[in-house]
Amino acid sequence: MSNALKQSFDLSAFWEYRSILWQGLIFNALVFLCAACVALSVGLGAALFRINRFLPARVVGTLHVELFRNAPDYIMLVWVHFVLPILIGLVIRRRVEFHPFVSAVIALGFVYSGYFAEAFRAGMQAIPQGNLDAGRAFGMSERLILWRITLPQVVRRMLPEALNLFISLFKATTIVSLIAVPDLMYNVSMVIQQEMRPLPLYTGAALTYFLIIFALSSTARAFSERWRQKIQA
Amino acid sequence: MGNWERLVWNQRDVLFAGFAVTIEVCAIAFVVAILGGLMLCLARLYVAPLRWVAIVLIEFFRDTPIFVQLMWVAYVWPEVFGFPNDFFTAGWLALGLQSSGYLAETFRAGIEGVPRGQREAAFSAGMSPVQTLQRVVMPQVALSSAPSIVNQFTVIVKSSTLVSVITVPDLMSQSQKLVNVWYEPIEILTATAGLYIAFVFLISLTGKLIADRLRQRFGLAAS
Amino acid sequence: MRALHAKLSAPIFMSDVPRIRIAGVHKSFGPLEVLRGVSFDVQHGSVVSVIGASGSGKSTLLRCINYLDPPNSGEIYIEGEPLGSRIDARGGRKPRSLAEINAMRRELGVVFQQFNLWPHMTVLGNVIEAPIRVRKIPRKEAIAYGEECLRRVRLIDKAREYPARLSGGQQQRAAIARALAMRPKAMMFDEATSSLDPELTDEVLSVMRELAVDGTTMIVVTHEMSFAREVSDRVIFLHAGMIEEEGPPAQIFEAPQSDRLRQFLSKYRK
Repeated sequence: MSNALKQSFDLSAFWEYRSILWQGLIFNALVFLCAACVALSVGLGAALFRINRFLPARVVGTLHVELFRNAPDYIMLVWVHFVLPILIGLVIRRRVEFHPFVSAVIALGFVYSGYFAEAFRAGMQAIPQGNLDAGRAFGMSERLILWRITLPQVVRRMLPEALNLFISLFKATTIVSLIAVPDLMYNVSMVIQQEMRPLPLYTGAALTYFLIIFALSSTARAFSERWRQKIQA
Repeated sequence: MGNWERLVWNQRDVLFAGFAVTIEVCAIAFVVAILGGLMLCLARLYVAPLRWVAIVLIEFFRDTPIFVQLMWVAYVWPEVFGFPNDFFTAGWLALGLQSSGYLAETFRAGIEGVPRGQREAAFSAGMSPVQTLQRVVMPQVALSSAPSIVNQFTVIVKSSTLVSVITVPDLMSQSQKLVNVWYEPIEILTATAGLYIAFVFLISLTGKLIADRLRQRFGLAAS
Repeated sequence: MRALHAKLSAPIFMSDVPRIRIAGVHKSFGPLEVLRGVSFDVQHGSVVSVIGASGSGKSTLLRCINYLDPPNSGEIYIEGEPLGSRIDARGGRKPRSLAEINAMRRELGVVFQQFNLWPHMTVLGNVIEAPIRVRKIPRKEAIAYGEECLRRVRLIDKAREYPARLSGGQQQRAAIARALAMRPKAMMFDEATSSLDPELTDEVLSVMRELAVDGTTMIVVTHEMSFAREVSDRVIFLHAGMIEEEGPPAQIFEAPQSDRLRQFLSKYRK
C-alpha cells in the first residue's frame, strides 16, 4: 500500500505532462465561458417568460425550467451530441454533426439556464411592486423598466447565488471529456493510455481541481459576505 | 413511430434493470451522505482535535468535481487503500462522499441556526450537552435541513449517470448498450433522458410537499 | 389669500379648459365596485384635496387618473385630451396604445405613499432618470434642472446619497423632486405623509404648501385635514366610491352639509 501511496503522490509524473494538461484546463475554461453566456441569456429569457402576462408564455417558461433543472448533465450532453444532430438533419434533409465543443456548450448552457432562470425569477419577484408603479407613473415603457429598474436590482440581489452557480458550472465542465472534448480529464486519460500510470495522474487531477475550486469558492464566499453587507446598507 | 415500441418498450426489462441499479447506488450513497455529513459536521463543531481534519475533508469533498472524484476513488483508492474492490462500491462511495461534504455544511448551518436561548433553557433544566443535542437541537436541524437533504438526493441521482463510465450497469449504461446494439439513438436516449427527468422531478415535488407539510405542522421557516 | 397670490404669480394662461377633467369614472376589481361614477375638474393652478375614509376609493381614484389601473368606464382628460382614446384621422375613436398612454403620463407627476424611490440609484440618479429616458432630455440639462428641483425641496446636500441612507421625510421630498423634474402639468399626491412618523410629516407638508403657493396644479389625497383646509381651493369628500360632498374648504370643514361628512370630520376634531 505504501508503495502505491508513494506512487500516487509522486506528482512528478503529473508535472511532466503539465503542458498538455494545462491546455486541457484551458479547454475547460473555454467551455465554461461559452456555456455561461448561453446559460445567462437563455436563463434570463426563461425567467421573463415565467413572469409574463400571457399564460402560454408562462407555461413555456415553466416547462423549460423544469425540464432542464431536473436533467442530469451527462444524459443531456449525450443527447445533444448524438440525437440533436440527427433530428436537425431530418428537418433540413442533410447530414448534420456537432463538434463536441458545440455540443458541450449547448448541453451545459441549457441545463444551467434552468438554474439561472430560477435565480433570476426569485430576484425579480423580490422587487417591490411600488418601484415598478413609480416607473410606469413616469411614463417608462416596460422595456425601460426592465433594463433600468428591475435587472440592476436583480443582479445586485442574486450575485452571490450566481457566483455559486458559475462555480458549479465550472465543475460540470469536467464531463465534457466523455464526448471527446480535449479538456484536462481527456488529456489525463490519453496520457494514462500511453504511460499506464494512473495513480499520480488521477491524484494530480483531483488536487488541481480541488485547489482551483477551493480558491474560487473561498473568494466567492468572502466576496458574497461583503456584498450582502453592502447592499443591505 | 413503431420504433418506440421496438426500441424502448420491448427493451423495458433491460432499462428497468438499469434503473434498479441506479436506485440502489443512489440509495446507498444517500445514506452514506447523511451519516458522513453528520459525522463530519459534529467532528468539526465538537471534537476539537479533529476540527481541521474535518474542515479539510469537507472542503475537499465539496470542491472536487464529482467526475474527477469518481475516477480517483475507482482507480486510485483500490491501489492505495485496498478498497473499494468493485466499481459498484466505488460508485456509491464517491457519490456519498461528495454529498456528505455538502450536507456537513447544511447541518452546520442548521445547528448554528438554532437560537442559543433554547440550549440555555435545556441546560437550566439540567439536561446534559449530549441530551440537549439529541432532544433539542438535532430535531430542529432535521426539520430545517429537510429541503436541502432532498435536494442533495436529486443531485446524487443526477450525478449517478456518471457511474456508467466506471462500468456500473445503471440506467445510463444500459441505454448506451442498447444504442450500441441497435444503432438508433433517438428513441432510446430520449426515453432515458425522459425517465431521469421525470424521476428527479417527482423527487423534488415530493420534497416540496413534505417541506410544506412540515412547515404547516411545525411552523418553522424551512428555507 | 392663497388664490390671489396664485393668480398674481402664476403665468397668464388664457384657457378655460380645465387642466384635468375626471369624467364619470367607474372602477371595479372583480365583483367589487370601488369607484361608482366620479367626476370633477381641476383648474390650472388650483389645488384639489380628496378626503375620505379608507376604502372610499381615494387611492384607486389616483391610480385611475394616470391609468396605472385603467377605469372600467369614464374618461380622464388632460387639457382636453382624453387619456384612454384618441380621435384618428377619419374622426373615429380609437383606444390609445400603451406607448401613447406612457407619453401622456409624463404630464402627471405622482408622489406615492411608499415613496418608491429606486434603491439602486442615488437621489440625483432617481431625479434625472425619467427626464433622460422618457423625455429624452440631454444629461447635462437634466442634471441642472434636477439639482434645481432638489434645491426647491431642500435636499440638494443629499444628491449623491442612496435612498436607504435617508430618513422617511427626506425620501419623500426626494420623491417630490423626482416628480417635479419631469415638469408635469399637474402633481398628484397619494397620501404622501401617511407612511411618515409624525415628526417627519411637517417637512414634507411645508414643501407641498410651497408648491401650492407657487401655483402648481395639485390633486392631494390626504388625511391631514388642517393641511387640506389651509392649502386647497376645493375639497372633495369621497364615500363608498362616489363624491358625497364637494366645495371650498370653508364649507367642507366649517359647514358640512352631509351627515356622513360630519361623522367623518368628527373623528378628527380634537
